[in-house]
Amino acid sequence: MSYIPIGPLHPGIKEPLRIKLKTEGERVVDAEVDLGYMYRGVEQIARGKPWQKVAYLAERVCGICSDTHPRALIEGLERIADCVPPLRAQYSRVIIGELNRIHSHLIANAIYFLALEHETLGIYLLNIREKVMDLLEMISGNRVLYSWNLVGGVRMDFKDSHLKKILENLREVEDHVTRYRKMFKTGPLLGLRSRDIGKLSKEDAIDVRAVGPVARASGVKFDWRTKHPTYVDYFDFEPVWRDECDNYARVMMRFDETLESIKIIRRAVNELPSGPIRKDCDIPRGSIDYRYEAPRGELVYIFETANHGIIKDITIRTPTVPNLEACAKHMFKDSPTISDAVAIYQTIDPCMACTERVVILDENNKKEEFRSFFDVSSRKGSGEKSVDKQTKI
Amino acid sequence: MIKDFIRKRSINICLVCTGGCNGCDIEVAALLSQRYDLEQYGIYLHNNPRECDAMVVTGTVSKQWQEKLVELYNKVPEPKAVVAIGACALSGGIFQQEGEKVGAPVSNHIPVDAEVPGCPPRPAEIASAVLKYVPVALANYRRKS
Ligand code: SF4
Repeated sequence: MSYIPIGPLHPGIKEPLRIKLKTEGERVVDAEVDLGYMYRGVEQIARGKPWQKVAYLAERVCGICSDTHPRALIEGLERIADCVPPLRAQYSRVIIGELNRIHSHLIANAIYFLALEHETLGIYLLNIREKVMDLLEMISGNRVLYSWNLVGGVRMDFKDSHLKKILENLREVEDHVTRYRKMFKTGPLLGLRSRDIGKLSKEDAIDVRAVGPVARASGVKFDWRTKHPTYVDYFDFEPVWRDECDNYARVMMRFDETLESIKIIRRAVNELPSGPIRKDCDIPRGSIDYRYEAPRGELVYIFETANHGIIKDITIRTPTVPNLEACAKHMFKDSPTISDAVAIYQTIDPCMACTERVVILDENNKKEEFRSFFDVSSRKGSGEKSVDKQTKI
Repeated sequence: MIKDFIRKRSINICLVCTGGCNGCDIEVAALLSQRYDLEQYGIYLHNNPRECDAMVVTGTVSKQWQEKLVELYNKVPEPKAVVAIGACALSGGIFQQEGEKVGAPVSNHIPVDAEVPGCPPRPAEIASAVLKYVPVALANYRRKS
């Protein structure tokens, strides 16, 4: 039995993180994940700031799902203020949100194929993703961070030329993604590397509370969009799901969701109502637990506001936290080779920038430890204190 | 001698993400696509410090990275160059605030040869910075040994 450390810098892993694999020969029997390389204290900075600043900061929790974070914050604030944005604003949030989801899913799959060393598909996917990035840049002015949502509406309006271009580019993206999906489905070598590897059964997925595409690929039919008023009222949204439970299912899941998102955007563009894009809201004192479906799964924003939208206290739980747990506990077990372990890790679409926001102080040993939110919640009462919780306003 | 000559035409870069929001990293990853096609300029993106000529650093240099970044820099074979990308790496950006102890800027820890501002900078800007300044920095590098 031997231990093999992967990371923090590794060719197959794009973000810093250390995985310690316990192996017997080539077969992986156990794994340990060591976090903390991306900790920068977002929640601590957010305390006591007005919502305009926190929305700006929330966007920078993660640069890939950069529409979802401010959106969860702002829809939460709107819920506190009891204010429903105009219909055109709701539709344009859907359009930007789904474009963001497409680009996130495409880069996730691209990185999976690069980790398998199948560069052709990986680079094809990166290239078609540029079409989506072009749309986002044309509409919002930035390729990555859009600052699209505001309390009571959105920042800018679509022009007719934008809508035409969206439909045009999406047609191309749909054609290509359908083709790549077929390549992945029928490719014998890709199938060999993906099918039956990294199994996560439905029971295990529920047990570790896996979320998003990872859970849906294991047969858990749940998507927070089915509870979102806009999607329920105007889009008849149905979640996509599969039951193969392996790497293949998770990658396929993202292709399927991409195609689904394209349909939603097309419908939103065709039915886009006219009218104002923003209305006035005053935010009273209150607190909320708001959940929304990020590209990677359930995103939780729990916060408390003072008058006029000052954020008093905030906790963010991102989808990678439970998914990483699922990966370390169940998926790595019995992975046939070490390079498969890297591929498995990529299929959960990890986003370390999201995950790391808590430091634990062990007062007895005077040692600082970096832990994810999940561990903190499960280790309550063991004499440790979270630094974040000490500074209250 | 030969090594120096060849390195003028082909640069291996190592992407080090030290705790930003990932925005800059995906922009570097986007450079691999056919639209920008980094490899046609002789730049190869690989995350291995021992084989690279230039380090591309993004992010705020979080606490865990502060010593490791210097270690990593020492592992890069000479001559070497460093390009810092994004507001985070240049000044700490939005994360450099009262009460937070991020170690930005990167130049506090290792010598930086080129800086690309932006949050995030466009992929074309990153590519042109690497192409323009890394060969100059490699040529002007003063060896320690
Ligand atoms: S500079 Fe901006 S885009 Fe780049 S890592 Fe920092 S916050 Fe993210």
